[in-house]
Amino acid sequence: MPVVEVDPDELRRLTGEPDRSEAELKADLFGLGIEYEGETDDGAFELEFAPDRLDRLSVEGIARSLRYQYGEDRGVYIPDTTDADWTIEVEDSVPDERPYVTGAIVRGLDLGKAELESLIQLQEKLHATMGRQRAKGAIGVHDLTMLKPAGDTADDKHIIYRGVEPEADTFVPLDDDAERTPAGVLAEHPVGDTYGHLVADIERYPAIYDAVGLFSFPPVINGRRTEVEASTRDLFVEMTGTDQWTIDRMLTIVCYALDARGGQVEAVDVEYGDRTLHRPDLSTTTKAVSHERIESTLGVDLAGETVLDLMERAGLDATTGGDAAGRGAASGAPADDAVEDVELEDVPTRTADTRSDAPDSGPADGSAAAGASTADETGLTYEVEIPPYRVDVRHPMDVVDDVGRAYGFNDLEPRYPDVATVGGRTRASRLEDAARDALVGLGFEDLLNFHLTSEPALFDRMGLSPDADAVGAREPPVITEPYSEDYTVVRTWALPSLVQVLENNTHRAYPQDLAEIGLVAAEDHDRPTNVVEHRSVAAVLARADASYEDAKARLQAVARAFGTELSTPPIDHPSFIDGRTAVVVLDGEAVGVVGELNPRVLVEHDLEVPVAGFEFPLDGLR
Amino acid sequence: MKLPDTQVALLEAASATDAKTVAQLAEQLGADPAAVTRAAFELEDAGLLAVDEDVAESDALTAEGERYLEDGLPERRLYEAALEAGADGAPVEMGRVIGEAGLDGEAVDIALSNFARKGLGEIDTGELVADPVAAETDPEAEALAAVADGSGGTQDPGVLDRLEARGLLERRETTVRSVTLSDDGVTALMQGVEAAETVGAVTPDLLSSGEWRDVEFAEYDVAADAETIAGGKEHILRQTANRVKDVLVGMGFREMAGPHADADFWINDCLFMPQDHPARTHWDRFALDVPPMAPEDLPDLADRVAEAHRHGVGEHGDGYHSPWDEAFARAVALRGHTTSLSMRYLSGHRAHGPDARSRNPRSEDLAGDLEPPQRYFSVEKVYRNDTLDPTHLLEFFQIEGWVMAEDLSVRDLMGTFTEFYDAFGITDLEFKPHYNPYTEPSFELFGEHPETGESIEIGNSGIFREEVLRPLGVDCDVMAWGLALERLLMLIYGFEDVRDVHGTLCDLELLRDVEVVA
Repeated sequence: MPVVEVDPDELRRLTGEPDRSEAELKADLFGLGIEYEGETDDGAFELEFAPDRLDRLSVEGIARSLRYQYGEDRGVYIPDTTDADWTIEVEDSVPDERPYVTGAIVRGLDLGKAELESLIQLQEKLHATMGRQRAKGAIGVHDLTMLKPAGDTADDKHIIYRGVEPEADTFVPLDDDAERTPAGVLAEHPVGDTYGHLVADIERYPAIYDAVGLFSFPPVINGRRTEVEASTRDLFVEMTGTDQWTIDRMLTIVCYALDARGGQVEAVDVEYGDRTLHRPDLSTTTKAVSHERIESTLGVDLAGETVLDLMERAGLDATTGGDAAGRGAASGAPADDAVEDVELEDVPTRTADTRSDAPDSGPADGSAAAGASTADETGLTYEVEIPPYRVDVRHPMDVVDDVGRAYGFNDLEPRYPDVATVGGRTRASRLEDAARDALVGLGFEDLLNFHLTSEPALFDRMGLSPDADAVGAREPPVITEPYSEDYTVVRTWALPSLVQVLENNTHRAYPQDLAEIGLVAAEDHDRPTNVVEHRSVAAVLARADASYEDAKARLQAVARAFGTELSTPPIDHPSFIDGRTAVVVLDGEAVGVVGELNPRVLVEHDLEVPVAGFEFPLDGLR
Repeated sequence: MKLPDTQVALLEAASATDAKTVAQLAEQLGADPAAVTRAAFELEDAGLLAVDEDVAESDALTAEGERYLEDGLPERRLYEAALEAGADGAPVEMGRVIGEAGLDGEAVDIALSNFARKGLGEIDTGELVADPVAAETDPEAEALAAVADGSGGTQDPGVLDRLEARGLLERRETTVRSVTLSDDGVTALMQGVEAAETVGAVTPDLLSSGEWRDVEFAEYDVAADAETIAGGKEHILRQTANRVKDVLVGMGFREMAGPHADADFWINDCLFMPQDHPARTHWDRFALDVPPMAPEDLPDLADRVAEAHRHGVGEHGDGYHSPWDEAFARAVALRGHTTSLSMRYLSGHRAHGPDARSRNPRSEDLAGDLEPPQRYFSVEKVYRNDTLDPTHLLEFFQIEGWVMAEDLSVRDLMGTFTEFYDAFGITDLEFKPHYNPYTEPSFELFGEHPETGESIEIGNSGIFREEVLRPLGVDCDVMAWGLALERLLMLIYGFEDVRDVHGTLCDLELLRDVEVVA
């Protein structure tokens, strides 16, 4: 979950609520689903939220959401954009691995230290989230006045996105004094370690040029020449990446933030060989949302104008149509004549819960106000306009969620769904419980161990070789990148886990009679997942006089309880003592092992008492 | 009057005029003093005897004192050896005397210091001279002997103090009880007292002969602690899991089962988790080093899932602007949540999980499409590749539940969870709007801790997105929620380190002593 540092005074200034107390501010933020996690040494709030509203990765974005919440802003806001003066020309030499670029100019900024820090934080947070650590999208912000257009004429102001050979050119990167080639940056500059892998295997590196030369090496580092300072008034913002939509949305979020700081957004044309894009793309999208879906999701009846009001308070614009049919998948198209504008009342209204088809739908919402619409909302559909910074709206249901949040989900009265179903457990789970009851009845302490363990625990320490023909000796599923050397595989048998518990409890009173029913697994290419899994029954008896007899007596009792026929012909197993070990044969099938643990295994686990035990698959008891 | 043996004997041995101590009586009767004392109190309770208590001081030798009584005090042994060696004339080398006295270890120091203290001679630069005129008798040795034969009281208190200081003597205060017959006791004796027979155990003989009617059973000290036995007990986390299952079955939920190691397709892709989502990167995922699932084992609905990722679902749906690769979907990992089971059940592809005894391991148990309404749950293990600490385990139990029905609302979701948590004493649920890639709307559930009253996160919930449901072939609504069972356990029991309970580092004593779930 992203965490953003926000100066509460900045937030008060940007929301136009200078007198908001700290407690009120925190409550307002919680209402947006933003949690106050703590404070930095400078008194900035550390705010955490779910990674859907990436437009809130800066103080400007959070302030915008609060203004909607306070009712100071309503509906969709689109920043004014002046016409394009500059062009980004995309050359064929651009590497296929990073083919896309976008950009915008923002003029007339008055960036102080705080504003600059906020911009840098936004950039970092966008890199970490949408940008997937710069792999999918990387942002470069430059001082426009330091750029010299590469055009032939005064009117032709363009810069160039191209691919360069790693050693073909040089520039002075940020935080550096030396001229370096892109390859030199990867080898010698600290950022090389962090981002070098993103371009390491590319033949030509992504590079951005003006008339003076190379000034940006995305996604690794910018040049020092165009570095932005607190005195910078005009910015050139470029983004490169592997997906046009993603970098365009990142750009949109940055433009909204700079617009909130008083900057004038100026368009930039992006010229690919076959097409020209006008950026930033601040066009809205439209989703059709049915009134019925909103009501059925929230479980309350709402008047049409209430819904429209809630949408505006969520920063959306909506118009109503009588019928969804024939409206089609309109996107950005102006509303046609059939759309009637609904006049909004000044006071938002909610209807009482009067849904006629749900007489038992719980007590009416206590906060329901007068002014309910009597209009028939059957078939009513809203054409909802969604601002371009909303990267999280994929489906009409995301709009329903916005309406619910604006309404206040916690104002809804819970009701138990009037739906009858029959409950029950699986047969396997009932069998497992019955077997566990039987073991506990025989005096075993029921245990619960990790399914994950290590190969030494399963094999070496048990005196067992993984390729032996013996219970427990199977190829374990191996974890590709384990965190800890103690947990590297899924266990092939459960007995070693119990022996480890004995090892860790030698200071506790004996007898220690332990049992476990739990998962064991092995690699098996006859299964769709290439892993075979089953539940295993394992037990150990550790006491001064533990013997084969004790283990077998209990094994017999379990078999008898399940009406299963048990026989125990002798066998050798490396973990047990020869001559005191047997196969567990249940209903004629050889499935497990019972015996006295080999002293080698006992000594390995620092045990000073004899241990007898058994293990067999649970489904042997069916 | 019939009385137990010991009481009868005691009554007969006691006198109305001459108080006798319990010790004397015990010796006289050849009985255990404790049994006599008990009998005396019982007779006193019956009014037949009077018991008087006096506090007396008594001396006893310590083990060391007993040893010196036998071997002689170390300094006397040294003195005698010195005389033997002729040290009453010329100085003799000290080591030799010690050797001849048979002293070693601590006894050497004891001998030397007391030798000097008692003026038995002089020690100088490793040589020893014995004073030939030193007293032949030693008051400390005499006192030792006197204490041993019980006449310590005749000795000089100063000498006794010295013995006590040397750790050779222990002085104790003891309560001396003496008994005299009461008037009732005398009367009872005159009227005749008989011994009642007491027996140690109920035996088959006793029962069949009918003798049990006439015997009295020897009394036990019923208040004393008995032997400690641990007994078997179902693991505390299992008990909690079963309680959860009981509650859910009671609410009409049916249990799901399925594979722990599964294709990423079921674990993540069906859940509309974009393939470049941070949670699907290597450091959160437990990828297994086994071959991927074969392309033919990926269900037909994979194309619809891919389409949802790329282009969304429905007329107004948008997809992710992220790559979708079938090979990644087929990769096998340990499940990070049991929502993989929900996906299998909702799509009608429930695979054989653990315990399936299929003769044809590739055949999938196609349950067919589920028709609403349905309720399903599981309480099963999930795996997270993370560091182990007091509140985080690599594997833990997830409670997963979902309800399938036409037109489910957020209120139905709230009502269901309110009902569930209420069964565990967690009330006043708060629903914090949240974001999950697979549900919309989504809520984090907060509840009040039953003990501390603080508001804590107790689950995550929501209504499955159409991008999840439509590719699975589900046309109605499904609401779902998930919660870590360990969290519920820690809430109920106040455990602070979950590792004490779960895993091979568990403490057997804690498991043996923990209260059962009721």
